[in-house]
Amino acid sequence: MTFHLQVVTPDGLAFEGEAEKISVRTQEGIIGILPRHIDYVAPLGMGEAVITEAEGKVRRAACIGGMVAVHSGAVRLVATTFEWAENIDLERAKEAEQKARAIMAREGLSDRDLKLAEARLHRSLVRQAVGKGN
Amino acid sequence: MAGVSMKDIKLRIRSMESTKQITKAMEMVAASKLRRAQERVANSRPYFEILFDTLNTIANNTEDFSSPYLEKREIRKSCFVVIGGDRGLAGGYNHNVFKLALSRMEGKNVCVVPIGKKCLEFFRSHGVEVLTEAYATAAEVHVGDCFTVSKMLSRGFLAGEFDEVCVVYTNFVSMLSQAPAVLELLPLAYHPRPGDTSSDCLTLYEPDSVSVFDAIIPEYLGGLIYGALCESVTSEQGARRTAMDAATKNAEEMIADLSLKFNRARQGAITQEITEIVAGAET
Repeated sequence: MTFHLQVVTPDGLAFEGEAEKISVRTQEGIIGILPRHIDYVAPLGMGEAVITEAEGKVRRAACIGGMVAVHSGAVRLVATTFEWAENIDLERAKEAEQKARAIMAREGLSDRDLKLAEARLHRSLVRQAVGKGN
Repeated sequence: MAGVSMKDIKLRIRSMESTKQITKAMEMVAASKLRRAQERVANSRPYFEILFDTLNTIANNTEDFSSPYLEKREIRKSCFVVIGGDRGLAGGYNHNVFKLALSRMEGKNVCVVPIGKKCLEFFRSHGVEVLTEAYATAAEVHVGDCFTVSKMLSRGFLAGEFDEVCVVYTNFVSMLSQAPAVLELLPLAYHPRPGDTSSDCLTLYEPDSVSVFDAIIPEYLGGLIYGALCESVTSEQGARRTAMDAATKNAEEMIADLSLKFNRARQGAITQEITEIVAGAET
Protein backbone atom coordinates (compact mmCIF):
# COMPACT_ATOMS: atom_id res chain seq x y z
CA MET A 1 0.00 0.00 0.00
CA THR A 2 1.17 3.51 -0.72
CA PHE A 3 0.07 7.07 -0.11
CA HIS A 4 0.47 10.24 -2.08
CA LEU A 5 3.39 12.38 -0.92
CA GLN A 6 4.19 15.96 -1.79
CA VAL A 7 7.30 17.75 -0.61
CA VAL A 8 6.84 21.49 -0.98
CA THR A 9 9.58 24.06 -0.36
CA PRO A 10 9.83 27.79 -1.06
CA ASP A 11 12.03 26.89 -4.06
CA GLY A 12 9.29 24.79 -5.58
CA LEU A 13 8.09 21.20 -5.50
CA ALA A 14 10.92 18.89 -4.37
CA PHE A 15 9.06 15.60 -4.66
CA GLU A 16 5.68 14.37 -5.77
CA GLY A 17 4.64 10.76 -6.04
CA GLU A 18 3.62 7.59 -4.24
CA ALA A 19 5.44 6.50 -1.10
CA GLU A 20 5.22 3.55 1.25
CA LYS A 21 6.62 5.16 4.32
CA ILE A 22 8.13 8.38 5.52
CA SER A 23 9.87 9.31 8.72
CA VAL A 24 10.64 12.88 9.72
CA ARG A 25 11.79 14.68 12.78
CA THR A 26 9.14 16.91 14.31
CA GLN A 27 9.75 19.25 17.21
CA GLU A 28 8.54 16.49 19.52
CA GLY A 29 10.76 13.78 18.06
CA ILE A 30 10.97 11.42 15.11
CA ILE A 31 7.68 10.14 13.73
CA GLY A 32 6.93 7.64 11.00
CA ILE A 33 3.92 7.89 8.74
CA LEU A 34 2.42 4.84 7.04
CA PRO A 35 -0.55 4.68 4.67
CA ARG A 36 -4.00 5.35 6.18
CA HIS A 37 -2.64 7.61 8.87
CA ILE A 38 -5.14 9.75 10.78
CA ASP A 39 -5.29 13.45 9.80
CA TYR A 40 -2.30 14.98 11.46
CA VAL A 41 -0.34 18.23 11.68
CA ALA A 42 2.98 18.84 13.44
CA PRO A 43 5.72 21.45 13.12
CA LEU A 44 9.05 20.09 11.89
CA GLY A 45 12.32 20.28 13.78
CA MET A 46 15.77 19.88 12.29
CA GLY A 47 16.65 16.40 11.17
CA GLU A 48 16.65 13.68 8.60
CA ALA A 49 13.72 12.68 6.45
CA VAL A 50 13.65 9.13 5.13
CA ILE A 51 11.25 8.41 2.30
CA THR A 52 10.51 4.89 1.11
CA GLU A 53 9.18 5.18 -2.40
CA ALA A 54 6.61 2.87 -3.97
CA GLU A 55 9.22 0.48 -5.41
CA GLY A 56 10.92 0.19 -2.04
CA LYS A 57 13.66 2.62 -2.94
CA VAL A 58 14.85 4.52 0.11
CA ARG A 59 15.87 8.15 -0.23
CA ARG A 60 17.25 10.34 2.50
CA ALA A 61 17.23 14.10 2.87
CA ALA A 62 18.01 16.88 5.30
CA CYS A 63 14.70 18.43 6.26
CA ILE A 64 14.58 21.60 8.35
CA GLY A 65 11.68 23.74 9.55
CA GLY A 66 8.11 23.93 8.35
CA MET A 67 5.47 21.31 9.04
CA VAL A 68 4.14 17.93 8.06
CA ALA A 69 0.43 17.52 7.36
CA VAL A 70 -1.67 14.46 6.64
CA HIS A 71 -5.00 15.23 5.11
CA SER A 72 -7.43 12.51 4.01
CA GLY A 73 -4.66 10.05 3.29
CA ALA A 74 -2.33 12.39 1.41
CA VAL A 75 0.85 13.58 3.07
CA ARG A 76 2.31 17.01 2.55
CA LEU A 77 5.76 17.83 3.84
CA VAL A 78 6.02 21.60 3.86
CA ALA A 79 9.69 22.21 4.62
CA THR A 80 11.75 25.39 4.77
CA THR A 81 14.82 23.50 3.59
CA PHE A 82 14.75 20.10 1.96
CA GLU A 83 17.92 18.70 0.43
CA TRP A 84 18.41 15.18 -0.87
CA ALA A 85 21.43 13.49 0.72
CA GLU A 86 23.20 13.21 -2.65
CA ASN A 87 22.85 16.96 -3.27
CA ILE A 88 24.34 18.11 -0.01
CA ASP A 89 27.57 20.02 -0.37
CA LEU A 90 29.63 18.73 2.55
CA GLU A 91 32.34 21.36 2.07
CA ARG A 92 29.83 24.14 2.36
CA ALA A 93 28.21 22.61 5.41
CA LYS A 94 31.60 22.30 7.07
CA GLU A 95 32.40 25.92 6.26
CA ALA A 96 29.07 26.99 7.76
CA GLU A 97 29.88 24.99 10.88
CA GLN A 98 33.25 26.68 11.29
CA LYS A 99 31.73 30.10 10.71
CA ALA A 100 29.05 29.48 13.32
CA ARG A 101 31.59 28.20 15.82
CA ALA A 102 33.79 31.24 15.21
CA ILE A 103 30.85 33.55 15.91
CA MET A 104 29.95 31.67 19.08
CA ALA A 105 33.54 31.85 20.31
CA ARG A 106 33.42 35.64 20.23
CA GLU A 107 32.92 37.49 23.47
CA GLY A 108 30.22 39.98 24.32
CA LEU A 109 27.74 38.39 21.94
CA SER A 110 24.14 39.55 22.22
CA ASP A 111 21.54 36.93 23.07
CA ARG A 112 19.99 37.31 19.64
CA ASP A 113 23.23 36.77 17.73
CA LEU A 114 24.09 33.78 19.87
CA LYS A 115 20.75 32.13 19.11
CA LEU A 116 21.17 32.77 15.39
CA ALA A 117 24.65 31.25 15.44
CA GLU A 118 23.42 28.25 17.41
CA ALA A 119 20.68 27.62 14.88
CA ARG A 120 23.21 27.91 12.06
CA LEU A 121 25.52 25.43 13.74
CA HIS A 122 22.68 22.99 14.31
CA ARG A 123 21.62 23.20 10.66
CA SER A 124 25.13 22.61 9.35
CA LEU A 125 25.57 19.62 11.67
CA VAL A 126 22.32 18.07 10.47
CA ARG A 127 23.32 18.55 6.85
CA GLN A 128 26.72 17.01 7.45
CA ALA A 129 25.24 14.00 9.22
CA VAL A 130 22.77 13.37 6.40
CA GLY A 131 25.34 14.00 3.70
CA LYS A 132 27.95 11.68 5.22
CA GLY A 133 25.58 8.75 5.60
CA ASN A 134 25.17 8.67 1.84
CA MET B 1 35.00 77.82 -37.55
CA ALA B 2 32.78 75.28 -39.25
CA GLY B 3 35.47 72.60 -38.93
CA VAL B 4 35.80 72.98 -35.15
CA SER B 5 32.10 72.69 -34.50
CA MET B 6 31.95 69.68 -36.81
CA LYS B 7 34.58 67.96 -34.71
CA ASP B 8 32.76 68.88 -31.51
CA ILE B 9 29.53 67.49 -32.80
CA LYS B 10 31.22 64.28 -33.89
CA LEU B 11 32.70 63.84 -30.43
CA ARG B 12 29.35 64.38 -28.78
CA ILE B 13 27.68 61.90 -31.10
CA ARG B 14 30.30 59.32 -30.25
CA SER B 15 29.89 59.82 -26.50
CA MET B 16 26.10 59.65 -26.82
CA GLU B 17 26.46 56.41 -28.70
CA SER B 18 28.49 54.78 -25.95
CA THR B 19 25.99 56.02 -23.34
CA LYS B 20 23.23 54.50 -25.39
CA GLN B 21 25.04 51.18 -25.52
CA ILE B 22 25.37 51.12 -21.76
CA THR B 23 21.75 51.97 -21.08
CA LYS B 24 20.64 49.43 -23.67
CA ALA B 25 22.74 46.73 -22.01
CA MET B 26 21.39 47.65 -18.57
CA GLU B 27 17.87 47.45 -19.88
CA MET B 28 18.46 43.97 -21.25
CA VAL B 29 20.07 42.76 -18.04
CA ALA B 30 17.12 44.13 -16.06
CA ALA B 31 14.66 42.41 -18.38
CA SER B 32 16.30 39.00 -17.94
CA LYS B 33 16.60 39.45 -14.18
CA LEU B 34 12.96 40.41 -14.09
CA ARG B 35 11.97 37.16 -15.72
CA ARG B 36 14.02 35.17 -13.19
CA ALA B 37 12.50 37.08 -10.28
CA GLN B 38 9.02 36.34 -11.54
CA GLU B 39 9.80 32.64 -11.77
CA ARG B 40 11.04 32.72 -8.19
CA VAL B 41 7.74 34.16 -7.02
CA ALA B 42 5.76 31.52 -8.90
CA ASN B 43 7.87 28.68 -7.44
CA SER B 44 7.44 29.73 -3.85
CA ARG B 45 3.72 30.40 -3.97
CA PRO B 46 2.35 26.87 -3.24
CA TYR B 47 4.47 26.64 -0.09
CA PHE B 48 2.92 29.69 1.50
CA GLU B 49 -0.57 28.88 0.34
CA ILE B 50 -0.42 25.56 2.15
CA LEU B 51 0.89 27.22 5.32
CA PHE B 52 -1.86 29.82 5.19
CA ASP B 53 -4.47 27.11 4.65
CA THR B 54 -3.26 25.24 7.69
CA LEU B 55 -3.31 28.37 9.83
CA ASN B 56 -6.85 29.00 8.67
CA THR B 57 -8.08 25.52 9.44
CA ILE B 58 -6.57 25.61 12.90
CA ALA B 59 -8.04 29.00 13.74
CA ASN B 60 -11.44 28.02 12.45
CA ASN B 61 -11.66 24.68 14.20
CA THR B 62 -10.39 25.61 17.60
CA GLU B 63 -12.67 27.03 20.23
CA ASP B 64 -11.42 29.85 22.48
CA PHE B 65 -8.65 30.47 20.06
CA SER B 66 -5.95 32.85 21.20
CA SER B 67 -2.31 33.39 20.42
CA PRO B 68 0.24 35.94 21.62
CA TYR B 69 0.89 36.81 17.97
CA LEU B 70 -2.66 38.10 17.54
CA GLU B 71 -2.67 40.24 20.65
CA LYS B 72 -2.84 44.00 20.10
CA ARG B 73 -0.79 46.06 22.52
CA GLU B 74 -0.22 49.72 23.13
CA ILE B 75 2.43 50.78 20.63
CA ARG B 76 5.55 52.09 22.29
CA LYS B 77 8.06 50.96 19.72
CA SER B 78 7.65 49.95 16.09
CA CYS B 79 9.93 47.90 13.94
CA PHE B 80 10.07 48.49 10.20
CA VAL B 81 11.53 46.14 7.64
CA VAL B 82 12.29 48.35 4.66
CA ILE B 83 13.16 46.70 1.38
CA GLY B 84 15.03 48.90 -1.08
CA GLY B 85 17.54 48.37 -3.85
CA ASP B 86 21.30 47.87 -3.90
CA ARG B 87 21.91 50.28 -6.73
CA GLY B 88 20.48 53.47 -8.13
CA LEU B 89 19.56 54.15 -11.76
CA ALA B 90 16.12 52.69 -11.30
CA GLY B 91 13.95 55.76 -11.67
CA GLY B 92 12.07 56.67 -8.52
CA TYR B 93 12.17 53.16 -7.09
CA ASN B 94 14.27 53.79 -3.99
CA HIS B 95 12.96 57.30 -3.39
CA ASN B 96 9.31 56.19 -3.37
CA VAL B 97 9.90 53.43 -0.83
CA PHE B 98 11.82 55.73 1.52
CA LYS B 99 9.22 58.46 1.27
CA LEU B 100 6.45 56.07 2.27
CA ALA B 101 8.54 54.56 5.05
CA LEU B 102 9.34 58.01 6.50
CA SER B 103 5.72 59.12 6.39
CA ARG B 104 4.68 55.96 8.27
CA MET B 105 7.44 56.38 10.84
CA GLU B 106 6.59 59.96 11.70
CA GLY B 107 6.07 60.54 15.40
CA LYS B 108 6.86 56.94 16.29
CA ASN B 109 9.70 55.41 18.21
CA VAL B 110 11.16 53.17 15.53
CA CYS B 111 13.93 50.77 14.67
CA VAL B 112 14.65 49.51 11.18
CA VAL B 113 15.79 46.32 9.50
CA PRO B 114 17.06 47.63 6.17
CA ILE B 115 17.34 45.33 3.19
CA GLY B 116 19.37 46.75 0.31
CA LYS B 117 22.52 48.88 0.29
CA LYS B 118 20.76 52.13 -0.61
CA CYS B 119 18.32 51.51 2.19
CA LEU B 120 21.00 51.05 4.83
CA GLU B 121 22.77 54.24 3.69
CA PHE B 122 19.52 56.20 3.75
CA PHE B 123 18.49 55.26 7.28
CA ARG B 124 21.96 55.64 8.61
CA SER B 125 22.18 59.17 7.28
CA HIS B 126 18.77 59.92 8.80
CA GLY B 127 19.93 58.70 12.19
CA VAL B 128 17.31 55.94 12.58
CA GLU B 129 18.19 53.02 14.83
CA VAL B 130 19.30 50.10 12.65
CA LEU B 131 18.56 46.70 14.17
CA THR B 132 20.82 44.60 11.98
CA GLU B 133 23.06 45.21 8.99
CA ALA B 134 23.31 41.60 7.97
CA TYR B 135 20.95 41.97 5.04
CA ALA B 136 22.51 44.97 3.33
CA THR B 137 22.55 43.46 -0.15
CA ALA B 138 19.03 42.67 -1.34
CA ALA B 139 20.25 40.54 -4.22
CA GLU B 140 21.95 38.12 -1.84
CA VAL B 141 19.05 37.63 0.54
CA HIS B 142 17.67 34.11 0.21
CA VAL B 143 14.66 32.33 1.60
CA GLY B 144 16.67 31.16 4.58
CA ASP B 145 17.54 34.75 5.51
CA CYS B 146 13.88 35.72 5.41
CA PHE B 147 13.13 32.98 7.92
CA THR B 148 15.97 34.14 10.12
CA VAL B 149 14.60 37.69 10.02
CA SER B 150 11.07 36.56 10.75
CA LYS B 151 12.20 34.40 13.67
CA MET B 152 14.18 37.29 15.07
CA LEU B 153 11.18 39.60 14.70
CA SER B 154 8.72 37.16 16.26
CA ARG B 155 11.04 36.61 19.18
CA GLY B 156 11.46 40.36 19.63
CA PHE B 157 7.72 40.84 19.42
CA LEU B 158 6.99 38.17 22.02
CA ALA B 159 9.71 39.54 24.30
CA GLY B 160 8.13 43.01 24.08
CA GLU B 161 11.10 44.65 22.36
CA PHE B 162 8.65 46.16 19.90
CA ASP B 163 4.87 46.17 19.69
CA GLU B 164 4.36 46.43 15.98
CA VAL B 165 6.17 45.08 12.92
CA CYS B 166 5.66 46.44 9.41
CA VAL B 167 7.23 45.71 6.06
CA VAL B 168 7.65 48.53 3.55
CA TYR B 169 8.16 47.18 0.06
CA THR B 170 7.26 47.86 -3.55
CA ASN B 171 4.33 46.16 -5.16
CA PHE B 172 4.81 45.01 -8.72
CA VAL B 173 1.60 46.18 -10.36
CA SER B 174 2.73 45.80 -13.95
CA MET B 175 5.79 46.23 -16.14
CA LEU B 176 5.19 49.97 -16.20
CA SER B 177 3.97 50.77 -12.73
CA GLN B 178 5.30 49.83 -9.32
CA ALA B 179 3.68 51.14 -6.16
CA PRO B 180 5.26 51.24 -2.69
CA ALA B 181 3.14 49.53 -0.02
CA VAL B 182 3.10 48.76 3.69
CA LEU B 183 2.33 45.32 5.06
CA GLU B 184 1.54 44.90 8.74
CA LEU B 185 3.12 41.68 10.00
CA LEU B 186 2.62 41.74 13.74
CA PRO B 187 0.28 41.73 15.53
CA LEU B 188 -1.07 39.43 12.90
CA ALA B 189 -4.07 40.96 11.20
CA TYR B 190 -5.90 37.74 10.84
CA HIS B 191 -9.42 37.28 9.55
CA PRO B 192 -10.71 33.73 9.57
CA ARG B 193 -12.73 33.02 6.49
CA PRO B 194 -16.28 32.46 7.67
CA GLY B 195 -18.05 29.30 6.65
CA ASP B 196 -14.76 27.49 6.37
CA THR B 197 -15.38 25.14 9.27
CA SER B 198 -14.93 21.92 7.39
CA SER B 199 -14.91 18.44 8.87
CA ASP B 200 -11.28 18.83 9.89
CA CYS B 201 -12.07 18.75 13.60
CA LEU B 202 -10.70 15.21 13.77
CA THR B 203 -7.20 16.27 12.86
CA LEU B 204 -4.55 15.34 15.36
CA TYR B 205 -2.27 18.21 16.24
CA GLU B 206 0.96 17.48 17.98
CA PRO B 207 1.59 18.67 20.66
CA ASP B 208 -1.66 20.69 20.37
CA SER B 209 -3.31 23.00 17.90
CA VAL B 210 -2.27 26.28 19.52
CA SER B 211 1.41 25.27 19.72
CA VAL B 212 1.29 24.18 16.10
CA PHE B 213 -0.22 27.55 15.22
CA ASP B 214 2.47 29.43 17.15
CA ALA B 215 5.22 27.30 15.60
CA ILE B 216 3.98 27.89 12.08
CA ILE B 217 3.55 31.65 12.41
CA PRO B 218 7.25 32.58 12.17
CA GLU B 219 7.45 30.44 9.02
CA TYR B 220 4.40 32.15 7.63
CA LEU B 221 5.82 35.59 8.41
CA GLY B 222 9.07 34.56 6.75
CA GLY B 223 6.96 33.70 3.76
CA LEU B 224 5.32 37.12 3.77
CA ILE B 225 8.72 38.80 3.99
CA TYR B 226 10.05 36.62 1.19
CA GLY B 227 7.03 37.44 -0.91
CA ALA B 228 7.52 41.16 -0.29
CA LEU B 229 11.21 40.81 -1.12
CA CYS B 230 10.47 39.03 -4.38
CA GLU B 231 7.92 41.70 -5.31
CA SER B 232 10.47 44.40 -4.51
CA VAL B 233 13.25 42.78 -6.51
CA THR B 234 10.90 42.34 -9.45
CA SER B 235 9.79 45.97 -9.11
CA GLU B 236 13.38 47.19 -8.97
CA GLN B 237 14.18 45.40 -12.21
CA GLY B 238 10.96 46.67 -13.75
CA ALA B 239 11.69 50.25 -12.71
CA ARG B 240 15.25 49.99 -13.97
CA ARG B 241 14.09 48.54 -17.25
CA THR B 242 11.65 51.41 -17.78
CA ALA B 243 14.20 54.04 -16.74
CA MET B 244 16.87 52.60 -19.01
CA ASP B 245 14.42 52.28 -21.87
CA ALA B 246 13.65 55.99 -21.55
CA ALA B 247 17.36 56.80 -21.34
CA THR B 248 18.06 54.82 -24.51
CA LYS B 249 15.24 56.61 -26.32
CA ASN B 250 16.56 59.99 -25.20
CA ALA B 251 20.04 59.08 -26.37
CA GLU B 252 18.66 58.05 -29.76
CA GLU B 253 16.77 61.30 -30.06
CA MET B 254 19.87 63.31 -29.23
CA ILE B 255 21.94 61.36 -31.72
CA ALA B 256 19.40 62.03 -34.47
CA ASP B 257 19.35 65.71 -33.58
CA LEU B 258 23.15 65.91 -33.50
CA SER B 259 23.51 64.03 -36.81
CA LEU B 260 21.23 66.58 -38.42
CA LYS B 261 23.33 69.40 -37.02
CA PHE B 262 26.49 67.65 -38.14
CA ASN B 263 25.23 67.23 -41.70
CA ARG B 264 24.11 70.84 -41.81
CA ALA B 265 27.54 71.99 -40.64
CA ARG B 266 29.21 69.81 -43.24
CA GLN B 267 26.96 71.18 -45.97
CA GLY B 268 27.70 74.71 -44.79
CA ALA B 269 31.45 74.06 -44.94
CA ILE B 270 31.24 72.69 -48.49
CA THR B 271 29.11 75.59 -49.71
CA GLN B 272 31.51 78.03 -48.17
CA GLU B 273 34.48 76.36 -49.84
CA ILE B 274 32.80 76.40 -53.26
CA THR B 275 31.91 80.06 -52.86
CA GLU B 276 35.52 80.82 -52.01
CA ILE B 277 36.85 78.90 -55.03
CA VAL B 278 34.35 80.50 -57.41
CA ALA B 279 35.13 83.93 -56.01
CA GLY B 280 38.88 83.23 -56.47
CA ALA B 281 38.36 82.11 -60.16
CA GLU B 282 36.31 85.20 -61.02
CA THR B 283 38.95 87.68 -60.03
